Amino acid sequence: MPKVLIPTPLRQFTGKQDAVAVPGATVGEALNALTAQFPELRKQIFNDEGKVRSFVNVYLNDEDVRYLGKDATAAKDDDTISLVPSIAGGRR
Amino acid sequence: MIRIEGAAWASMVAHAEGAYPNECCGAMLGSNGDGVKLVREALPLENAFAGEQAARYELRPEDLLAADRAARERRMELIGIYHSHPDCDAYFSQTDLKNSCPWYSFVVLSIRNGKFHHANSWLPNVEQTAAEKEELSY
Repeated sequence: MPKVLIPTPLRQFTGKQDAVAVPGATVGEALNALTAQFPELRKQIFNDEGKVRSFVNVYLNDEDVRYLGKDATAAKDDDTISLVPSIAGGRR
Repeated sequence: MIRIEGAAWASMVAHAEGAYPNECCGAMLGSNGDGVKLVREALPLENAFAGEQAARYELRPEDLLAADRAARERRMELIGIYHSHPDCDAYFSQTDLKNSCPWYSFVVLSIRNGKFHHANSWLPNVEQTAAEKEELSY
């Protein structure tokens, strides 16, 4: 099963696990399986329309899935999925 | 509450003053327990904003991924993000809010005339509509 690395602040929703192996043949299936297993995580990752929130970049190993197949990107047993925040800002 | 250890804080201030009159940005690594976030190390990152950097910053996701890996390898946690506001207060602007992530603390350092002036820490909500001030000590 692919493994999802859990960012520190979200481990409160995964029983303190820093990584969770989840079933799924694609990145989208894996994230849906993760949030089905830990429902409180869902609000942090998906918006009300079920889309990944704008501040979340999903990486498969070292690649941003937006440049692969997005949710349909194939995920293999030894793959690692990371949730990487999208952060910017400025005084104005 | 977030507490920043001396060496980490000195590194953040030096980074912010060195980047003046531009904004700087970086990651804060440490531990989180008993309601207190302890920052033990500051990791300066490149401001990747393509335009005028005096009023904007942008972090590359790849750099944050590397920062998270560095934290895990050293048995620390990614606690938050810091950036500077040159010649204005350490508020959380609408730009900061709309490009934030609720998982982390956001420390803003006010730099006036090239020197550190004051700092605040902010906790944005998941809808990116408001940020609560967090108690900060350094």
